[in-house]
Amino acid sequence: MTMLQTPARRRRAGTGAPPPRTRNWPGSASGVAGRVLALGLILGIAVWAAVPLVSSGAWTGVAITAVATGIALYAYLSPRRLPAKYLLPTTFLLVAFQVFPVLYTMSLALTNIGDGHLGSKQEAITAIETSSVRREAGSAEFRLTVAERDGALVFLLADPATRATYAGTPDGLRPLDGAVPGPGGRIAAADGYTVLTGAQAAARSAEITALTVPVDGGAIRSQGLTRAYQGKAVLAYDAGCDCVTGEGRIWRSDETQGRFVAADGHALPQGWQVGVGLANLTAALTNPKINAHFAGVFAWNLVYAVGVVVLTAALGVAAALVLHHRRMRGVRAYRTLIVLPYAMPAFAMLLVWRDMFNTDFGLINRLLGLHTDWLGTPLTARLSVLLVQLWLGFPYMFLVATGALQTIPDEYLEAAEVDGASPWQRFRQVTLPLLLLALAPLLVSSFAFNFNNFNGVFLVTSGGPFPSDNPTVGATDLLITYTFRLAFGQQGAEYGLAAAMSIYVYLIVAVISIIGFRRTRAFKEVT
Amino acid sequence: MRTIFRAPALGLAACLALTACGGGTPADTPAAQAPTTAPAEDAATATLTIWADQKRSETLKPFAEAFAKENGIKAEVVAVAQNQQQTFVTASQAGKGPDVLVGAHDWIGNLVQNGLIDPIQLTEDQLSGYVDVARKAVTYDGQVYGIPYAVENLALFRNTDLAPKAPQTFDELVETGKKLKEAGRVEEILGYTISQQDGQSGDTYHMYPLYTSGGGYLFGTKPNGDPDPADLGVGTPESIAAFEKVAALGEKGAGALKRSFTSDNSAALFADGKTAFLVAGPWRLADVRTAGVKYDVTPVPPFKGGDPARSFVGVQAFFVASKGQNKALAQEFVTNTLATPEVAQALFDAEPRMPALKTALAYAAGKDPDVAKFEAAAADGVPLPAIPQMVAVWGPFNTLIHAVVKGEPVAPAVKAAGKAIAEQLGQTG
Amino acid sequence: MRALAWRHAAAVLITAFAVLPIVFVVSAALNPIGTLSSTNLVPRGAGFGNLSRLVEETHFWTWYRNSIVVSGLTAALAVAVSALSAYAFSRFRFPGRRAGLVSLLVIQAFPQFLAIVPLYVIFSAISDNWPAFGLNSVWGVVLLYIGGQVGVNTWLIKGFFDSIPRELDDAMRIDGCTHTQAFLRVVLPLAAPVLAISGLLVFIATINEFLIASVFLTGDDARTLAVGLFGLLADQRNANFGMFAVGTLLTAIPTVLVFQFLQRYIVHGLTAGAVKG
Repeated sequence: MTMLQTPARRRRAGTGAPPPRTRNWPGSASGVAGRVLALGLILGIAVWAAVPLVSSGAWTGVAITAVATGIALYAYLSPRRLPAKYLLPTTFLLVAFQVFPVLYTMSLALTNIGDGHLGSKQEAITAIETSSVRREAGSAEFRLTVAERDGALVFLLADPATRATYAGTPDGLRPLDGAVPGPGGRIAAADGYTVLTGAQAAARSAEITALTVPVDGGAIRSQGLTRAYQGKAVLAYDAGCDCVTGEGRIWRSDETQGRFVAADGHALPQGWQVGVGLANLTAALTNPKINAHFAGVFAWNLVYAVGVVVLTAALGVAAALVLHHRRMRGVRAYRTLIVLPYAMPAFAMLLVWRDMFNTDFGLINRLLGLHTDWLGTPLTARLSVLLVQLWLGFPYMFLVATGALQTIPDEYLEAAEVDGASPWQRFRQVTLPLLLLALAPLLVSSFAFNFNNFNGVFLVTSGGPFPSDNPTVGATDLLITYTFRLAFGQQGAEYGLAAAMSIYVYLIVAVISIIGFRRTRAFKEVT
Repeated sequence: MRTIFRAPALGLAACLALTACGGGTPADTPAAQAPTTAPAEDAATATLTIWADQKRSETLKPFAEAFAKENGIKAEVVAVAQNQQQTFVTASQAGKGPDVLVGAHDWIGNLVQNGLIDPIQLTEDQLSGYVDVARKAVTYDGQVYGIPYAVENLALFRNTDLAPKAPQTFDELVETGKKLKEAGRVEEILGYTISQQDGQSGDTYHMYPLYTSGGGYLFGTKPNGDPDPADLGVGTPESIAAFEKVAALGEKGAGALKRSFTSDNSAALFADGKTAFLVAGPWRLADVRTAGVKYDVTPVPPFKGGDPARSFVGVQAFFVASKGQNKALAQEFVTNTLATPEVAQALFDAEPRMPALKTALAYAAGKDPDVAKFEAAAADGVPLPAIPQMVAVWGPFNTLIHAVVKGEPVAPAVKAAGKAIAEQLGQTG
Repeated sequence: MRALAWRHAAAVLITAFAVLPIVFVVSAALNPIGTLSSTNLVPRGAGFGNLSRLVEETHFWTWYRNSIVVSGLTAALAVAVSALSAYAFSRFRFPGRRAGLVSLLVIQAFPQFLAIVPLYVIFSAISDNWPAFGLNSVWGVVLLYIGGQVGVNTWLIKGFFDSIPRELDDAMRIDGCTHTQAFLRVVLPLAAPVLAISGLLVFIATINEFLIASVFLTGDDARTLAVGLFGLLADQRNANFGMFAVGTLLTAIPTVLVFQFLQRYIVHGLTAGAVKG
C-alpha cells in the first residue's frame, strides 16, 4: 500500500513531466466518475488475481501483482494527462507475452536443454531408478486389493497359483488369514482392514505407486490397482559417490554433460539440464555446418521479403489500374473474384499450392503442359514460394490500390494531360507517387511480416530442396524456418542451441527494424 | 471449470455496477474468490487424462468413461491434433501432461531418455497374447514400455483387372507395369511413395523394403534386440549396392520411382485405375474400397535374387506417463481395460488396422480377409527402430532417397548421408 | 475500344490466377475419395460426403466457433489496446517516447512461437492460479495473441493518427473536453479506416495461426479451425484432403464476412486519408 502514497506525494511536489498544454484541465464530474470506475476495475482485477496466488503461497506472484496494481492505480487515479494511461495495457501485455519469453529464451541459450536434458538431476535419477525396475522372471503375479489400516496403506495380496494370501506393508510381507475371496481372485475383505473404494484409491494414487513391500531379492510393487508383481530396481543412485550403480557397473555424474557416464564412455540415456555457458552461442558461430550457410540464408531471406513486397504491390496496383476505367464493365465481378484468395485460409491454401507444384501430378504442369520439377531445384523452388506468396498477398494490395485510385482527383491527371504528359508519364509522375503514399505503411508492415513468414515457406517447401550433403539447410529456408528446424526438427529437440540461434536471428531482425524505423522517419519528413 | 470461466466477467460486471453508485471494492471479493473453491472440488475427484489422436480418442471415450464410473473418478480423453510427441514432452515437463498417452512405439526411445514414460510390468502369459513383432516393438532396453494395440506395415495392392497375377519379384512388377503403360492402360508403372507429404524429402519408411531387399540396413542389432547405433549400415558397400538398384528404377532409369509420388497422390492414382500397383499400408484400404477398384493384397516382392523386402512395422501402443498425477489409475486403465480384446476390437472396427492382440487379430481376420494378407506381409517386417538415435537418420536418409531417385551419382550420395548421420550421432551422443 | 479489350484480357488473366487454386479446392471438396487427387480439376464424381463426414466425425462447429471467438476477440482487443498506445505515441511528448517506439518494434521482432517452451512455462503457472486464462482456454490464447500483435498495430495506427491534424483535438480541448473525450470523439472516428485495416489483419493472422494454438489448445472444446483442420492431415500416411478442402472453404466464410463488413470503412477511410495526405 505504500505504493499509493507515491502519486500524492509527487503531486504535492509538483514534479513529473506534464506537457504544458494541460492548462485547461477540467475537473469535471465525468472525469471523477471515470477515475472511480478505474479504481473499481483495477482493484477488482487485482483482488481476483491475487487470491489464488496468496492461497498457493506464490509470494513472488503476489509482489508482481502488487507492483502492477500500484502502477495502474498511480496512472489512472492521477488527474493529470499521463501518457501512461494509454500505454499501460500495451506495456503489460508486451512484458508478459513478449519480453519475458524473450529473456527466458535467452537464459535457455546458456543451458544444454533439449531432448534427454529437459529436467533436473533429481528427475533424471527418479527416471533412471523407476525404469530399471525389472519384474522377477517367472515370479508370481499377485492379485492386489488396496486397503488401509489406521490410515496407513496396506496391499492385500492373493497369489492365484497357490491361493495364498498376504498383507504387504513397507515393513514386509505377512501371511493373511481369514481373507474373503472376491471376484477375479482378489481379496474382497479382511478383518481389521478397510478396503479402499476406487475413488479413495484414486485419491491416494501417488502413495500406492510409491509403496514397496520388501521381500527376499526385491520388492513387491503395484501395477495399477488390481495387480502387483515382484521386481527389483537394477540401478540405484548412491549419493555418497554421486553415481549410479548396478549390473556390476558404475556411471558417475558428469556435471558438464548433465549425464551419468561410465568409465567406458557409455552414458545412461536420462540426462538433466546443466549450464553450458556460452557454448551454444559460440557453437552457432563456429559450427561450420551452421555458419557456412548463414550468409546464404540471410541473403535469400532479404530477397524473399523484398521480392514478395515488390511483386504483390506491382500486381495489386496493375490489377487496380486495369479495372480503373470509366467505361470498363464487369468491374464488380472481377473485383469480387480477385479478392477471393485473400479470404481463403492461408495455411490451407499453402498446402494446396504445394500439391499443385508436383512434377507429375500437379495442376500447374498439367495445365501448362510442362514437366518442371518446381520444388526440386533451388531456383524454381524459390520462384515457387514467391509465386505462392504473390497469390496470397496481391489481392490486399489490389484492394488498397483500388481505394486509393478513386481518391486521386481527376483534375491532377487532366492537368498533366494538358501539359502534354504521355500516359506513362502521367502514371509515373501523378498516379504512382500518390498510390505509394497510401500503400507505404502497408509495404512496411508487409516487409516485416514476410521477413519472418514461417508458414509461407515451411508449408510449401519445408525450406527445401536440401543439398544431399547437408540436410539442415535448404534453398528456400528463411532464418526462421531454419531456426525452427533446429529447435523442433528432425535432429531431435535442441532448445539450447535453437535459443542461441534465435538470439542471433533476433538481433538481425531488430537491426533491420531499427534501420526501417529511421527510413520511415525520413520518409515522413519528406511528405 | 465453468464457474471459473465466468468469474472474471462477474468481477468486472460487479465493479461496473457498483462503482456507479459510489461503492467499490468490498463487493468484488466474493465474486473474486470463486476460483479458489473450484480447484478444491476438482482435487477431490481425480481425473484420468488420456491423450490420443482424433480417431482413437473417439473410440476410447466410452471405455474411459466406463472405467471412470466403475472407479468413481472422472476421465477425459483429449484429442491432440498434431505434434503429439512434442506436445506430450513439453506438457509433461511442465507438469501438465496426461496420465495415459496413445502413440507410436518409435517414440519410446525419446520418451524414455526424457524420463516421461514408465515400464509396464506384464507376465510372460500376458505378453504371449501379443503378436511377436508388436511385443518386440514395445520392448526397449529389455523393458516393456507400452501396451500394443495395432500393427501396421506396407504391402502391395494390385489391381486384379489390370494385373491378375501377383508378381514374384519387384523386377517382374516393374516389367508388368511397363507393359501396361506402353499399352496405354495405365499412366504410371506403379504407385510408390517416394516423398513426404511436403514433397521436399524422401520417405524412409516407404523406401525401407527396397533398401533391405537390395541388401542394405540402417543399424546392426545389439544382443538385447535393440538396434545398435554403433553399427551404422548407411555408407557401407551393401547400402551403395542397394541404392544402385533403387537408382536403376528411378527417374533416370526405368522411371518407375519418381519424387513426385507422395502417399496421397500414389493412392489416388491407384484408386483411379491409373496404375496397377500401389505400395501402401492398411490405412489405404478404405480409399481403395470406396473407389471400387478390384484389388488384392500381397507382400512387397523382393528384387530378383535379393534379400526379402522387409517393411517397417509401426506399432500403436498405450503408454503410462511418468509424470501423470494418477499413475496407479493409469496403470490400472492401461493394463486391465485397454489391454482387453474388446478395446482392440472396437479400435479395429473404427479403422481396419491389424490388432496386436492375438485374440482380436482372429476376430479381425474373421471379419476382414485383408487382415490376414497384411499379416502375411508383416512376416518379414521389422519394428521401426525406437532408439532416440533414429532422429539422426531421418533427415540425411530422406535427402539421400531424393538424390538417388533423382538420378544423382549413388556412391557419393550414400557416403555423404552416412557421414551426416555419423556426425549427428556423435553430436547427440 | 481496343483499349478496353486489352483491359478485359488482362483482367481475365489476373482473375484466372486468383481463382484457379480455389476451383481446385472446390473440386477436392466434392471428390468422394479422401485424397487430393492432384491430377484433375474435374472431380471423380461429386457429392457432399466430405461435408457430412466433416460435420459428423469431427467437432467442426466447435472449432469454427472457437476460431471466430478467438480471432474476433483478438482483433477487437488488439486494435483497442494498440489504438490507446498509438494515441500516446502520436499526441504526447514524453521522455522515452522514441525509445519506446523503437523498443516496440524490436520486441515485436521476436517470433512468439520460437519461445514455445518459455510460453508453456508461463501458461502452466497461469493455469495453476487462473485456469480461466491458462492452457486450453481461448482467453489465454487471446491474451497471448494480443501480446504478439500490439507492437505492429501500434505502429500502423500511430502512423495514421499522425496524419490527423492536431488542431482538431486541440480545438476539442479548448471547448472543455478532456483528452479522453478528444481521443474518443475526434481521433478514433477519423481513424476508422486504419482501425478496420488493423482489425482485418489481426483477424486473418489469428484465424491462420496454428503453431501456438496446436500446443496451447489441445482439448476438443478448445481447438480452433487451423488446429482441427491440420489434425485431418496430421497422419502423414492417411491424410484426408477431401474433408480438409471442405473445411478450408467453410473457413473462408467468416473472413469474407468480416471483410465485407469492414470494407466500407477501409475504402471510405482511404479517401479521407489521401485527401489529407
